[in-house]
Amino acid sequence: MDLKFLIVDDSMTMRRIVINSLRNLGYDNFVEAGDGKEALDKLAVDSGINFIITDWNMPVVSGLELIKAIRSDQKVAHLPVLMVTTRGIKEDIIEALKAKVNNYIVKPFTPHILKEKIEQILAIAS
Amino acid sequence: MKTATNLSELFEKLDDLKSVFRYGEKLIPVIQGLVDFMRDTVPLLENINSSISESTSKIPKATNQIHNITSATELATTEILDIIDVISNDISVAEEAISSLIKIEKEKEEILLEIKSLTENNLEVAALFERYEKVTKANPVLSPLTELFGKIRSNVYNITLSLQVQDITAQQLAAVNHLIESVQEKLSSLVIDFEVTNVSVLDSTAIQVPLNTTFDPNARYSKSLDQQDTADALVKDHQSRTSQDEIDKLFS
Repeated sequence: MDLKFLIVDDSMTMRRIVINSLRNLGYDNFVEAGDGKEALDKLAVDSGINFIITDWNMPVVSGLELIKAIRSDQKVAHLPVLMVTTRGIKEDIIEALKAKVNNYIVKPFTPHILKEKIEQILAIAS
Repeated sequence: MKTATNLSELFEKLDDLKSVFRYGEKLIPVIQGLVDFMRDTVPLLENINSSISESTSKIPKATNQIHNITSATELATTEILDIIDVISNDISVAEEAISSLIKIEKEKEEILLEIKSLTENNLEVAALFERYEKVTKANPVLSPLTELFGKIRSNVYNITLSLQVQDITAQQLAAVNHLIESVQEKLSSLVIDFEVTNVSVLDSTAIQVPLNTTFDPNARYSKSLDQQDTADALVKDHQSRTSQDEIDKLFS
């Protein structure tokens, strides 16, 4: 399956690190967004996006709000969403799961964890 | 008789009045003390007020400096990532060159083996081949180079991963900024209580923080997998419950 990733993070550094890691895993198709609103705009115009990796803490529209918006929009509700965030406390993780995130990574992540979570999501999706 | 009673009442009232005066005499020094205390306290309160005003007016500068630190570290991190990209590209070029060299060396070896088989009877050529094999086997160059470049690539990638610290510290700084903003609000309200006329001045020094910005006050850079393990356990639990719900729906 050819994956086109939407990487959503207000930190340019983090977007580059995630993209570098995905390149190392053999993926090479990416779209970037600096916050949740930009991500929704990109999703509206790019139907090729089929995997979303998002941060939680972002201005304008947060990662959690982004997931809720995605899940409430029939056109994109099916898309897998992986959250990569500094928020590691139990209550936050439960909140993200309630919003229907597919999997959750606590920063700082390792490439091994990123690979594992993407594979887990794809395995469940197939 | 009535006059005597009236006089008696009058003397009683005069006694009461006398008591009041006596009490007043005792009270006056206390009141005087209170007035003196207030007189001494007012400059002190004014000092406190001006100190709070001064501190409050400096807070926006502090928050701006924190913002600048975040921007500067992000810029520096971006520059490091640019350099890492250049190094990674250089490594790729070097790896490709080594790969080509390995192919050429293999081809050379095949040619030499053919020459060797064609010149089996020539002792001088055989001796030269023996010497050549000794030299090349004793000093392998290309395969260690490939390993070395692999190691450099891996280290460079690890530097990239460590740069996640920038995002984590940015979260921490945002949390500090939020705390400072709260302190400023409290200080401002104190000053306003002291002197209402300063409200407009304080309003103008209010920190402009984007309303919808979120941050993680608990952000930390740790290689411990405790939090990831918690996340994994919760995700697993959630997924198994979701699957059960789906099964239940099918049978309901």
